[in-house]
Amino acid sequence: MKPAARTLGSRDAYGRLSPLWIFLLRYGPPRWSEYVVQNWTGQRLVIAVPYLWLLVFFLIPFLIVLKISFAEFSPLGRPPYEPVFQWLEEGALQVKLLIGSYVYLFNEPLYVSAWFYSLKVAFFSTLFCLALGYPMAYAIARSPPTQRNVLLLLIILPFWTSFLLRVYAWVGLLKTDGLINQVLFKWFGIVDEPLAMMNTSFAVYIGIVYSYLPFMILPLYSNLEKHDNTLLEAAQDLGAGPIKSFLRVTLPLSFPGIVAGSLLVFIPAVGEYVIPSLLGRTDQLMVAKLLSDEFFLNRDWPRASAVAIAMLLLLVVPIMIFQRFQNKELQAARK
Amino acid sequence: MLTAERRTEKKNKDEPWRDPHAEAYVRIENITKRFGDFVAVNNVSLKIFKGEIFCLLGGSGCGKSTLLRMLAGFESPSSGSIFLDGQDMAGVPPYERPVNMMFQSYALFPHMTVEKNIAFGLEQEKGLSRSDIATRVTDILEIVKLGPFAARRPHQLSGGQRQRVALARALVKRPKLLLLDEPLGALDKKLREATQFELINIQEQLGVTFIVVTHDQEESMTLASRIGVMNRGEIVQIGTPTEIYEFPQNKFVADFIGSVNMFEGTMIEDLPDRVRIKSDDLGGVIYVDHGISSAPGAIVYAAIRPEKISILRAPPADTTENCVKGVVKEIAYMGDVSIYLVKIDTGKMVRVTLPNIERLSDDERILWDETVWLTWHGSSPVVVTQ
Repeated sequence: MKPAARTLGSRDAYGRLSPLWIFLLRYGPPRWSEYVVQNWTGQRLVIAVPYLWLLVFFLIPFLIVLKISFAEFSPLGRPPYEPVFQWLEEGALQVKLLIGSYVYLFNEPLYVSAWFYSLKVAFFSTLFCLALGYPMAYAIARSPPTQRNVLLLLIILPFWTSFLLRVYAWVGLLKTDGLINQVLFKWFGIVDEPLAMMNTSFAVYIGIVYSYLPFMILPLYSNLEKHDNTLLEAAQDLGAGPIKSFLRVTLPLSFPGIVAGSLLVFIPAVGEYVIPSLLGRTDQLMVAKLLSDEFFLNRDWPRASAVAIAMLLLLVVPIMIFQRFQNKELQAARK
Repeated sequence: MLTAERRTEKKNKDEPWRDPHAEAYVRIENITKRFGDFVAVNNVSLKIFKGEIFCLLGGSGCGKSTLLRMLAGFESPSSGSIFLDGQDMAGVPPYERPVNMMFQSYALFPHMTVEKNIAFGLEQEKGLSRSDIATRVTDILEIVKLGPFAARRPHQLSGGQRQRVALARALVKRPKLLLLDEPLGALDKKLREATQFELINIQEQLGVTFIVVTHDQEESMTLASRIGVMNRGEIVQIGTPTEIYEFPQNKFVADFIGSVNMFEGTMIEDLPDRVRIKSDDLGGVIYVDHGISSAPGAIVYAAIRPEKISILRAPPADTTENCVKGVVKEIAYMGDVSIYLVKIDTGKMVRVTLPNIERLSDDERILWDETVWLTWHGSSPVVVTQ
């Protein structure tokens, strides 16, 4: 028999627990505390491993980076920043938080433009990926089951080669005496002079769309593949032609797939480092390049950390809000 | 009192297929559909009249769904043609046919409310204003009694409610022909019975012609004005529910509709008003009080329904024909009727159903391993040749 539900954080249920636990259960993140209450037995061990992993390899490093971002830069120090927390001789804890690094991010035109450029590149790359990936995912989902696996394998196949190598291969294709220019200029003479494709935004788009296309296709495919064909037949039966049926049935039903694929492309594209470094403009940096320059060239750890934190907040917070909103809508629909 | 003339008139109106001059509303002519080597529908011709509920009945894979899909336009026939209200449907895509379908799975759009689902079809029509659409949606919601559920999504509805949404969505288009694919298959028994009558009421109210596909003979019996029984891509008999049940034209129909005891035999007497069949299955002679057309000496099958056989505890005095001795092997008490499986002397099992009219005590009731005599009236057997 299942015991009656215990009230969160009530004394009798947690008599053996310390006040800290009671506080956490009462005021901590609700889902997490509910989880603890409902699975207070051996099951928690199973979930403890991934939680521990996240704690050690994500949350703690994140807190360290957060701390460094508020520190004062000391070029000659080792590590190159002043401590944030310091025990003074009188037994007092001195906390010194500087927001200078963050202020700098928003005032320095180089940073602001890098931000906008990164967002722009990521946004349009996502759009291109969607425009290319949707028909491909749709075609795969609609092909006979025997062909489907082969087609999916072809989508995943590039992953067998190193990412870096594939981007370098694009250098070979795009550069002034590269393959594309050889064909267009030397052999066929379609263009009057070799096209300058390297170190342009165009090359960055090519690189990002090429590299991240599978991340758009796979979630879209897994969504489209589940679609019930009779819904399309019903739409046709009710008088909607093929285009109308697609717009009013398939497209809205594939919205979760579009969101998943777009997030999987957009998020890494904003922070993309390798592709713009190898193919991109030299006069217009993307945020990730800026971050690495601050870190490795200027050794300004606080500012690099501030860039990292700002990137995280700017990307993760809207996504979390969005997902919360979507969850709420889902729950509302279920009720 | 109806005069003879008026009776024919009424009959022709209710049963237009008896009137040779009646114009068929749906005309299916020599339709064949092949998938590779497999012939799903084989040379089917059908005439369906306006306002009918026509049931296509058959087991799975008999081609009934393929025929329905050809009417809807989802499959195109390999040969033959379909006329709807005089118009040839060849090459007309599903979205331009004046035909709507209610899908077996209902195929409701999960991302739309009940209201939007129903309005979807109307929004595709040209020349309908927003207020027209709203009125028609409200009206149909009234008819299917779903008014309070207009703002719900399909997954928030019960099976019966979804079924009614699917029906409303198809009916709101005012189709010339409504196709229903196993319309009640997903409902439980009680709900199914209630819905059957509701469906008939709605059909009478709106006067739409229905073609229903089902594998459930009970469903087809209650719904249909006529039934077309299908087997292996062919229509094996067309008739009213009574005709199909009481006068099956062949062994398949007799066997498929309801349960039946089939006795193989040869004709020993073949007169216009009576027939005698010697059956080794039965170990005796079957007397039939009506004539049948068959070659003398031919192998025939006498089909006798379980409810048309009576059980006696003593041998009947007057006759040796239409009578057989056996031992009760199984009894199944179903509440309204009891089913007895009687093993006759030849070893064949005969199924008999008796209505439980009286509450019998244990001594009065026929029990296991009791020796009994089975008899039936000369009008009961139906004789089929194949």
